Formats: sequence, C-alpha cells, structure tokens
Amino acid sequence: MLRRWLKANGLLAPTGIWLGLFLIAPLVVVVEFSFATRDTGVARAVLPWTTQAYLTALDPAFLPIFGRTLAYAGATTVACLLLGFPLAWFISRHGGRYRTVLLAAVLIPFWSSYLARIYAWKALLDGEGLVNTVLGWVGLDRDGGFLLTHGAVVLGLTYGFLPFMVLPLYVACERFDFRLVEASYDLGHGRVSTFFRIVLPGVMSGVLAGSLLVLVPAAGDFVTPKLLGGVDQSTFGSVIDDQFRGGNNWPLGSAMAVLLLVLVVVVLVLRGRRGEDVL
Amino acid sequence: MADQVRIARLWDVDSPRVTRRTMLGSMAFFALAACAVGPAPTNSGGTDGAGKAANLVDEPRLNFYNWTDYIAPETLPGFTAVTGIEVTYDNFSTNDEMEAKIASGQAGYDLVVPSDNFLRRFLRSGLLQPLDHDAIPNLANLEQRFVEAEYDPGNRYSVPWAWGTTGLAYSKSQLGDEVTGFDAFDLPAARGRSSILDEARDGMAIGLLKLGHDPNTTDARQIDDAANFLLSLKKKLGQINSDVIEPLTSGQVRLAQAYSGDAFQASDANDDVGYVIPEEGGLSYVDLLVIPKDAPHAGNAHRFIDHVLGAETGAALSNAVRYGSPNAAAKPLIDKDLLNDPAVYPPAEQLAKLPFTKDLGGDVEALYADAWTKVKTG
Repeated sequence: MLRRWLKANGLLAPTGIWLGLFLIAPLVVVVEFSFATRDTGVARAVLPWTTQAYLTALDPAFLPIFGRTLAYAGATTVACLLLGFPLAWFISRHGGRYRTVLLAAVLIPFWSSYLARIYAWKALLDGEGLVNTVLGWVGLDRDGGFLLTHGAVVLGLTYGFLPFMVLPLYVACERFDFRLVEASYDLGHGRVSTFFRIVLPGVMSGVLAGSLLVLVPAAGDFVTPKLLGGVDQSTFGSVIDDQFRGGNNWPLGSAMAVLLLVLVVVVLVLRGRRGEDVL
Repeated sequence: MADQVRIARLWDVDSPRVTRRTMLGSMAFFALAACAVGPAPTNSGGTDGAGKAANLVDEPRLNFYNWTDYIAPETLPGFTAVTGIEVTYDNFSTNDEMEAKIASGQAGYDLVVPSDNFLRRFLRSGLLQPLDHDAIPNLANLEQRFVEAEYDPGNRYSVPWAWGTTGLAYSKSQLGDEVTGFDAFDLPAARGRSSILDEARDGMAIGLLKLGHDPNTTDARQIDDAANFLLSLKKKLGQINSDVIEPLTSGQVRLAQAYSGDAFQASDANDDVGYVIPEEGGLSYVDLLVIPKDAPHAGNAHRFIDHVLGAETGAALSNAVRYGSPNAAAKPLIDKDLLNDPAVYPPAEQLAKLPFTKDLGGDVEALYADAWTKVKTG
C-alpha cells in the first residue's frame, strides 16, 4: 500500500515540484500582492492587508476597458474562426500528402519573435506603409495609415493567434467522417443546410476548443494593443502592464490579474465537457 | 493525438483530484510565500548627518552602474590615472532595470545614476547613503540651482550628473514654426499623429501647465482638473508612449512630449526633428550620482564624485554627452555651440518655468498616479 503510494507520488513529484514552484507559487504571490497596500518606494506592495485594490479595479471607471477587451478578444475569435475553418477543412480534406507541409506552414511564423513580427506590422500599417499605399491606388487610404486603430489591434491579434484556432479545428475536421456529407446530400439537404446540420455539429468540439485557445490569450495580451493601438486602445492586459511597469500600483495590477483569472476560470467551467475531446 | 488528449485533461477544472491537489498546494505555498509582502521599509538609520566616507572593503576598486552611452571616453581612464582606482563599468538602459538590481540590496554597486523620479523612490525606501560633503570639496562647483533643487535640497544624497528638460519634439517639415506651446496638439497636421509621455508626473504636467497651475501642485482639485483636461486632449492624440525616438525618427509621430535627451537622439537620426520648450513651461529632469547603502567602496565613490565635479572633467563629460551640465566651474570650457543652444541651456526667463519634479510624498504621488490611470483608461 505504502509502496504504491510512493510510486504514484514519486511519478508525480517532478511535475508537482515544477507546477508548485513555477505556477502556483507566483500565483500565490500575485494574490498576496492584490491584498497588499501600495508603496511608493521600491517595495511596491506592503502590509497592512486591504481590499482597496479590488474596490478600485471594480470601479465603473474601468468598465470601458473591460468592454473593449472583450470586444477585441471576441472579434479576434470570430476572425480566426472565419479564416481558420476553411483553412483547416481544406488541409484535412484536400491536403493529401502535403498535409504535414501545410500544417507546418501555419506554424512557421512562430519560429520568429512575436515582437519582431508586430513591428513588421507597424511598418506595413503606418502612413507610408505598404497597406496604405496599395489601398491608396483605389482611393481607400487613410491619413496616417491604419496604425493606432481598433482594426489594427484586431488584425494583429488575429494574425498572432490564428494557429491556435487552426490546429484544434484541423484535428476536428480530421476526425469528421466526410461520408456524412455525401449522405446528407443524398438525403436531399442543400449545401447550407448540410453545413449547419452536419458539418458544424461534427466539428463543434474543435470550434469550442479553438475559440477558447484564442479568446483567453487574446483577452490577456498587452503587447499588440500597446504597439498597434493608440490612446483609446488600452485593454485589461495593458492596464495591468501599466500598473506593474510604470511602477504605479502593484496591488491594483495584481487585483486586475486575479479578476481576469477568475473570469477565465468561469469561462472554462461554462465550457463544460463539450470541448474536451479535442482540447 | 492520444497523448495530447491526456495531457490536456490535466487542465480540467472540474476534475476533483486536481482541484484538491491544487488547493493543498496553494495552502502550503500561502504559508511559504507569505514573506513576499512585508511592512514598508522606512528611511531610518544614518539619515541625519552623514558618516565619514569610508570603504567597507579596502581595495582600489569602484563598481559604477550608469546609463548606456552616457559618459566621456576620458572620464574613467582619467579617474584611474589620478587615483589608481580601477573602475568596473556596467550599463543599464531603463530606470526599471537599474531599480531591480539596486532594490535587491546586494548588487555590489558603489555608484549608480538614477533619474530624479527614481531618486524619490529610493529615498522613500531608504536605499541610499547620505553623502559626506567633507570628502567632496568640488561640490562648491555646482550651480546654485542644483544645490537648492526640490528633489534633494542641499545635495544630501545625490550629486547631479547631467540634466535636461521635458518639452515638445516635432517634425519641422510638417509643423514648421507653429510649435510654440501645448496648443500645437490642436494643429490639424498633428491630429492623431502626436503623443505624450507615459509617465504620471510628466503627463499630468501638460494638463497642469495648460491650466496655469504649478506642475508640482499638491491640490487634489487642480490634479483632477488636469486629468479632465488630458481626457479631452486625448481625443486628439495618437499615442501615450514613452518610447518616442523611433516614432519621431520614422515620422509616424509628428509631435511628441519628449525628454530633451531623447529628442536630440531622434534629431541626430533625422534632421527633421526639432525640439522646443513650450511657452507654458515644462519640467527639468536630472540624472544623479548616488551611493547605495550597501556599497562596498563608498570612499572611492566619493572620490569619483569629487573627480567628476572638477571643471575639466565636467566640461569633457558635457561635451561628449551633449546634455546640460550642472557644473558652473565647467561652463567656460564647454563647447560654445552647445552653450548657446537654447534647447540645452534655456535662457533665464525660460528656466524659471522649468522646475524640477518635486517629491510630494507618498500620498500626493499616489493621487497623481491614480489621476494618470484615469487619463489612460477613460
């Protein structure tokens, strides 16, 4: 009995220690910071304990940021779905022996630094950039380019998180039995009806898993809105970043991080078990 | 794909086993990590009256931590030649980076160059040694303005290294001569293409100065008014960003509140970038030599401070870094074109409108920080 216990726990020990040291302990510290008092010296968060940071974080003044963050994350998720589903479907259905190559191509941008790629977007989107120049030929250019707009932020986020959507969708498409589509046609369903009644329910687990993988990090991202967005593009993530990096208010930053975490946990719980086959 | 499924199941929050384990783990770590938050350190011990400047470790060494590209080529060799003290020279590029090392208390540096806003932070936490003025006879060379300065009256903890101003950098070709004050943010060519610094006191100063208030005000209502003014100004801005060099150089930003040093770096890369001190006024900033409390060679650090305050070394430093020099004795030896540049050495009447950022104490600084958060999020 003891030996079995030792064996089981011995196997768990490396993971347990890893999670304990590098996941749980920092999380605990963040929670502690969130209940601490702000210090304007170098300590940043000190005793006594207080809930002031939560009161500030839940202030109605922060509501616009909250809504904006959700809007960005939601728009990003929808854009990733619209782009990712046809791609995943194509790769699994028509990829043939190039499937692996096509999947690798989706992942290749990950080989270079995200920051460098966002700076590349900055160059593409600014007033004299390629995007504005090309749109200028058909009279759709904009003074100052498309940098610092809501569109730029959603574009950057979509670009960054698309692979997270494609991979689970690909797995779902791969598992989907294509004969069902033929059967549906045989039984008289049209294209639209087949898509909504047969294909979509069949790959729903992938859609849910992919949406979650995009929605959650997109809601927490701060680099993209900071670099591509302007004055009205600050999000939950960038406000947290401000509280820490500007050194303004660590307790407030921590409280906001905890609230974001709670929100994510709620989403995960609401997800239920439907997405778990793929995720 | 089977493996992937198994790994991913560990994430499930509704799996009772993981939940219990996580709970137990977090309880244990709450106990362990309780040391992460402690009482606020106070500025106690040795604050009144400096001790004699002495080395804890008796060796001819000095560990100097300074900004990148912020020294004359002959400064360090000159010091070693005169005193026989070997200098270990390390660099940082942001105040945050430097603070992380100094706050740990064991970095082993003898001399550090924070900006005045970080001096305030360090002083509140009691991280610095008071200076022994007897060991720094050249302190008499300092310009009066830097002896009386609000950030550290009487140079008890710090000696200025170089100083600059917070003003407006702009594109000459796009905005021409129209940039004289904060009204420039209303220019059509600047709309959506301008930025202000992402720093509470500097950003708030725009609102305070525009409304005719003191940028060092402690009046909560004035701070609130300034925040409201900035909220309306924000609609015309492109960004709130402290990294102005790249956007100014590329022309993306046409008008930016900027530190003079950054503005000069941008204009080195692109002639089109100009710099002006707004007619409403601005703030002066200064980078300061300080000695951390735990410095192993504090005596040598005092000797270095005295060396840099010398007329010739001070002038060489200023000529190399192209910042304002706080050293009155060095003035006659500084390049004439530098000395006559009003952007580097503003005339007296302008200087009167360029106070240093004063330490307003933790509570008022917190007011500024909160008002700034309101500006950024509103």
